[in-house]
Amino acid sequence: MPTVILLDVSLSMSRSVDVSTPSQNEEVERLELRKDLAAHGCHSLLDHFAQHCKLEFACLISFSSVCKILMPFTRDFESIKNALNLVEEGDKTSIDVGLVGAAQHILEEWGNGTPCQIVLVTDGNAGIGQHAMQKSLMSPHSRGAAQFPLPFPFPAKLNIVCIANPSEPGFQTSKPLYQRLIELNGEGDILIPEGGLSKKSVSELFDQLIKNNFSSYSGTLHCGNLSAPITLSPPPQPYCRHHDFEVIRVSVDSAIQVLGFLNTGDVSSPPAFSRHLVLPLSTKGDMVMLPKADGGSDDESGNDEGKIPSFCVLLHGGLKRENTVALCQVGDNWYGILYSWADNKKKSNLMLSIFVPGNDVIPWMGKLSNLGPASLLPTNPYGPNESSTPFPLKIQEEKSYALNCVVWVRQGGLQSDIQKILRHARKLPDKTQSFYKELNRVRRAALSYGFGELLEGLASVLERECTLLPSSSHPVAAIQLQHAYEALRNHDKTYSDYSGSEISEVSSDYSDENIGTTSSEGVYVFEELEEEEYQGLMVVGPYMLEPDAGDVVEVVPNQPDMEWRRDPKRLNEW
Amino acid sequence: MALGPAKNIGGNKLDLIKGIKAAIEALTKPSAVQHEKRTSLTENATKVLNKGRIILVTKLDSEEEIKNIKEKFHGTLLYMNKNAAATDNLMAINHCDLVILNLWPEGPPCPMPIKSWPDVSTIVSCEFTNIQCGTALAPKLCNLVLKHYDLASTTVTGIPMKEEQNASSSANYDVELFHPAAAHAAILKGIPSETAHLKTYREGTDYETVTLKWCTPRSNASMELQHCSSAYRITSVDVNSRPSSCLTNFLLNGRWVMLEMPRKSGSKVISHMLACHGGDIYIHTMYTSRSILEDPPSISEGCGGRVTDYRIPDFGELIKANKLAPFPAPTAESEESLTPLERSKEQLNRHTKYWPITLSSTSLFNLGPQIEPLAALMLEDNLTEDEVVECKQVILYLMNMEARGDPLPSPMAGQRGKGMKREDQYRAVWAELEQYLQLHLHTPAHEKVLECLMECHNKAATPEYKGDEKVDIDQALKELDDCNYVADRDKAEFGSGGGGKHATGDLSLPDSKRRRTVPPPLAPMGRSSGMNLLTLWENKVSSEESRRCLEFQGRLKSEDNVTKLYVNLQKDKDKDEVPRKK
Repeated sequence: MPTVILLDVSLSMSRSVDVSTPSQNEEVERLELRKDLAAHGCHSLLDHFAQHCKLEFACLISFSSVCKILMPFTRDFESIKNALNLVEEGDKTSIDVGLVGAAQHILEEWGNGTPCQIVLVTDGNAGIGQHAMQKSLMSPHSRGAAQFPLPFPFPAKLNIVCIANPSEPGFQTSKPLYQRLIELNGEGDILIPEGGLSKKSVSELFDQLIKNNFSSYSGTLHCGNLSAPITLSPPPQPYCRHHDFEVIRVSVDSAIQVLGFLNTGDVSSPPAFSRHLVLPLSTKGDMVMLPKADGGSDDESGNDEGKIPSFCVLLHGGLKRENTVALCQVGDNWYGILYSWADNKKKSNLMLSIFVPGNDVIPWMGKLSNLGPASLLPTNPYGPNESSTPFPLKIQEEKSYALNCVVWVRQGGLQSDIQKILRHARKLPDKTQSFYKELNRVRRAALSYGFGELLEGLASVLERECTLLPSSSHPVAAIQLQHAYEALRNHDKTYSDYSGSEISEVSSDYSDENIGTTSSEGVYVFEELEEEEYQGLMVVGPYMLEPDAGDVVEVVPNQPDMEWRRDPKRLNEW
Repeated sequence: MALGPAKNIGGNKLDLIKGIKAAIEALTKPSAVQHEKRTSLTENATKVLNKGRIILVTKLDSEEEIKNIKEKFHGTLLYMNKNAAATDNLMAINHCDLVILNLWPEGPPCPMPIKSWPDVSTIVSCEFTNIQCGTALAPKLCNLVLKHYDLASTTVTGIPMKEEQNASSSANYDVELFHPAAAHAAILKGIPSETAHLKTYREGTDYETVTLKWCTPRSNASMELQHCSSAYRITSVDVNSRPSSCLTNFLLNGRWVMLEMPRKSGSKVISHMLACHGGDIYIHTMYTSRSILEDPPSISEGCGGRVTDYRIPDFGELIKANKLAPFPAPTAESEESLTPLERSKEQLNRHTKYWPITLSSTSLFNLGPQIEPLAALMLEDNLTEDEVVECKQVILYLMNMEARGDPLPSPMAGQRGKGMKREDQYRAVWAELEQYLQLHLHTPAHEKVLECLMECHNKAATPEYKGDEKVDIDQALKELDDCNYVADRDKAEFGSGGGGKHATGDLSLPDSKRRRTVPPPLAPMGRSSGMNLLTLWENKVSSEESRRCLEFQGRLKSEDNVTKLYVNLQKDKDKDEVPRKK
């Protein structure tokens, strides 16, 4: 997790440690200003990063009445230490300025999805204006919410480290404000040294902070009887969310159990709650980072670790080779996948994506607990040579976008349906089948909506179309069009029982060699309509837009179906 | 539920209370999930809340009427709650949102403004909306759906489409989609000014739509794992419009499309992905910001990274053998207590009982195809007779190899000098094989394979046989027969096949040993006590090999290496003399 060290550099940080006992051992603790103690503590935190969490990012932001980014997010902890030594004193403590600055920087760098840690190091005195701020924070509705960054727009832990004596009056006054800040953020703590202020107590304080918030994950990866000690980077966060009937709070187990394997293509980029690098630990439990290039120094201690086989490397190799992922269990009813992942082409590593807790979290894979060894099924769904796959699971109901249903919610829907009929009409007799299919589809919908005017309108359009037929057109086209518009007009007479009748192609004994070629396409079969289809349909006639003849006739000539562009330049990419 | 037309209560007014009452009553009935949770006897059972929304579609003429309805609604709700609380099967309503849709005819606009009362009381909130009848009705209802179901709109812009006939020219189209609002959280939550430019109002709507740009899809995108934080189902707003159906068909055919979000600074970033899984189209949210996993170390830089002889191809086979597939849903009283996933875990356990991860730590698995049938079959739940035989054949084959002195394939060759001596290599293989078989004693059939190994190979080492180190030739022969039991499938055949001298009265032999027809006599063999099964075996093999070429008839009939020629000549002449000469 990226960490912001938010350092108070107000003038009050330059107070000496304890005003009451100033001079007894002045030589020894001459240096002990609060800011020095703060720097000392931050150093120990950074040392911890350098040793145990090499892949973490940290940044240093100072604030007083203004906020300064002294060191943007980096893994180079030494440079942060150097920046700490160059901190300049400011004026007053404005916590809100600091929090706004930290939030801004995190949003710019990591967006709103990355969990972050914010360590606010201050002197236990919230400074001028704290009462007004506290008051506004207490009332839930009326605080200056637009500006105030809490709760942070990203998941964050806010720890307030006070370099102060617990008994100081300043701390006592400010404590409720700190508490309110933490309450607003939801997660975090106030830390204050036990006993007097000294290097030792501050060190202990930061040790406590590290222990509670920055301990690295250490667990075991199991695959049947094979296993390897691992750490996860960044450390997995507990999942805490309000569901419909309960509040779920779960943490990742120390044992991660591989349950089986799936094709990478089959899991289809499932949404993940978090992602972690899986790094094998040495037998001593340390994370080993070998020097990147293979230099001449073969007999370094790190290289010994590199030569002890680790199951992680085998698993990674196997998954990469087979282009598969390993489904694993990370907690009670909580799953994830392990796979080989490469940031760039050269360096691939083992990655763990953790799903949201639950059994049914990836819709196209069904219930995860219902996945079992394919080899135990009567017929292996993967086929003899891995040519087929049982995924994705097919959905039961068809979606409206997958059905060719009639939607006339907006004008455009109706217009395009009419236009489609006209397009086919102009290509008669080649498109006879499609023409009648579309015609019947619109007619059916119009009848079931009680939208008789549409039929009349459509009939006029077709009649007009018939008269406008160019002389070069096939004689059958006119016959079919005439048949169609007459049939549409007669709907209330001859076709009063609409349920059983569709307009069907007029049979023509017109003998011409062209007809022979077109009718050789086969016998036209028209959908038979079941009466049940109309039941349950809502009649919306009175509210339906009155079909304006002009509207309907206004057709862009010859606009056939669209197809995807195949730009020759892009052909290779498709 | 249909109530029929409302009762006219005079003054062209209708009685709406009956409908309101029916609606509230329906809300007090717990849903299936609510019922299950409420009766679950867990600590959360009492905390199940009942909230709902009632949409009243009507026509009201004055503010007075609205006020009236609100009051009556509240009163009815309180009354019904009291009733519901007194029963077991109904749930009191904790909060109800009343939405009044006032349908106003086309013409002059409605005098009453759109208004909302967030807290009519602690349990009722109310909202009043005017809808002009006609074309505005559908979009307006759409807006309400968006609000009530927490949906949001995305417009995919710049989709290049071409006409079927006019393939050379293409135009760009926009398609609007609806999906849960959470799909936008990743890009909209945060600094508002950064994302303000993404949001626009579409003509005739009163909700914002986020405009994202179409990216040319890559064909192999679906084979890679994209990092997504969420995936939600979508629908196009105009399902039937030409651009919409064009896009949805494209997606339904399995193509994945990336969507690009323009940044305020002018740069662009891929923020979403449209993909179809099993007939449902989803919008995936991608990570747009810097990754905390950037510049990760390579796996070769960590522990075990410098080891080069991992059995990765073998692990690939293990992966293939342990692929997961959806199982048919368990029947109500499933006889198996394990879920399919647990069974897969069991299977993995079994498959990895003995699994050296590097080539240098195993001799057995270096043997390659020779050992494969045995290694694979022993993992099975059950072994058939045939499979047991197949396993035994592998063992015999190994013995054969050893007898012939074939060199073993060794990964160590060339690494550290000459590696082990051949006998040591075989010893290692046998030891590993024994360990492997010991770990896979799932059924008696599996045990038979182990027994075979014990008998064939290191019989002396097994305590069972310690008593009779001096092998009787007869006994040895029988055991050899057992080893050589290859072709016979059926115990019952024994006897009928001409059991010979060994077939009778061998009651002292263990049951597991099965006999076969007697082999042809072996070459003469001493009864030396030092003879072990191996030498017996070798002798037998050599004798069998020698028997493969037919013995010269003359030599067989010879007496003191002299064979009389043309014996038949004499036979014909003098039949009596022949037997005398013999």
